[in-house]
Amino acid sequence: MPSNSESTCYFIQLQIDGYLDSDLSEAQQGVFMSHVQDCSACASEFRYAQTVQDAVMEMPQIECEDLVLEPVHSSMKSGRQGQEDVSKGSLLTQIAVLLNTVPLYFRYGLSTALIAVVAVAISFSVVTPIEESGQLVASEPVEQYSPEDIALALQELNVAIDYLNQVSLRTEVMIGNRFLVTPLQDSINASFQRARSRQNDPLQNGPI
Amino acid sequence: MRALYLEAIDQHRHRILSFAHYSLRVREDAEDVTQEVFIKLWKHWQKIDHEKLGAWLMRVAHNSVIDHVRRQRPQQENLDHYAEVEEQVGEESDGTHLDRHRFKSQLQSAIRSLEDPFRSIVIMRDIQGLSYEEIQGSLELSASQVKVYLHRARRKLREDRKLRQLFEEQIADRSGAKQPIALVASADKGNGHAQ
Repeated sequence: MPSNSESTCYFIQLQIDGYLDSDLSEAQQGVFMSHVQDCSACASEFRYAQTVQDAVMEMPQIECEDLVLEPVHSSMKSGRQGQEDVSKGSLLTQIAVLLNTVPLYFRYGLSTALIAVVAVAISFSVVTPIEESGQLVASEPVEQYSPEDIALALQELNVAIDYLNQVSLRTEVMIGNRFLVTPLQDSINASFQRARSRQNDPLQNGPI
Repeated sequence: MRALYLEAIDQHRHRILSFAHYSLRVREDAEDVTQEVFIKLWKHWQKIDHEKLGAWLMRVAHNSVIDHVRRQRPQQENLDHYAEVEEQVGEESDGTHLDRHRFKSQLQSAIRSLEDPFRSIVIMRDIQGLSYEEIQGSLELSASQVKVYLHRARRKLREDRKLRQLFEEQIADRSGAKQPIALVASADKGNGHAQ
């Protein structure tokens, strides 16, 4: 547990940077300076911080000689990247740059018109093949059936339909018995049973 | 455009090189960073918001420095070794001027050893004198973050053992005392408390 003076020193030392940056109020500065004058440890710490700060601030700006920038100049002369980047950019980039310069309503209007044009083009391309395919179907050789073949096919179809009807009837009965009829009967019987027992037991028939 | 570009180079070249120089250990790396920054400026000239050119350049320089630091990290151990040898040679001589020189070179080394963004903030604010707004724009930090990081960076600098030792030696030499002054905020805080 730090003593009172230690915690005061701790807080004073936290304020050193604030004091060096003149961020402290006048009152805070007064408290800070009076403590630093009385406390040799804080005075030493303050002196150290000030020395470091002064030394940092005294560090000179480094001169950038022309020699350092020679590669930059030669790159500029040979490459001309700044302007060429835009001109060499893809078509999409150029369109994007162009669009960025026009008003917002024009941008949205243009994009809507483009979408409409694309939609119309797609609808044409979808409709046209159907007509063409119709022509194709018509031009294809159609297989010819005799009336006997058709009658035989109809008979087979009727047999199949009869079979399916029987199967569905059986299924319906099974399902109806199991899931509809039997539970319904059980429920009705139970209701009758309850009604009967209520009539026999007078306590069940209260005033309420 | 070319004239404007050259003007921009002239305006910012010293600042960019200084930032790179104080961030990196090798002079050639700092020059590489400066070249990279201005080549990027030429490439992106059309897309840049020219009202915030200074902040853009410092941001590019900052990113480039970080890349260099990452690339150079394995080699730094060797450089540190050479620095120590140089220091030992220097210690053989004596004098106030030499002490001050040693103090400053140790301070530079301590600044370079700081992690980012502490290092960049100290350089931008305390060495280059950039405003808080400029630093915010360059490092994409809030005003309060810049202040907090700056104070933390200064505290980290003061915690550098060699730097403190040099300071204590200077004080001891000046006052004629043989014992170094005990400090509250040092590693063994509270041991030498004067009160």
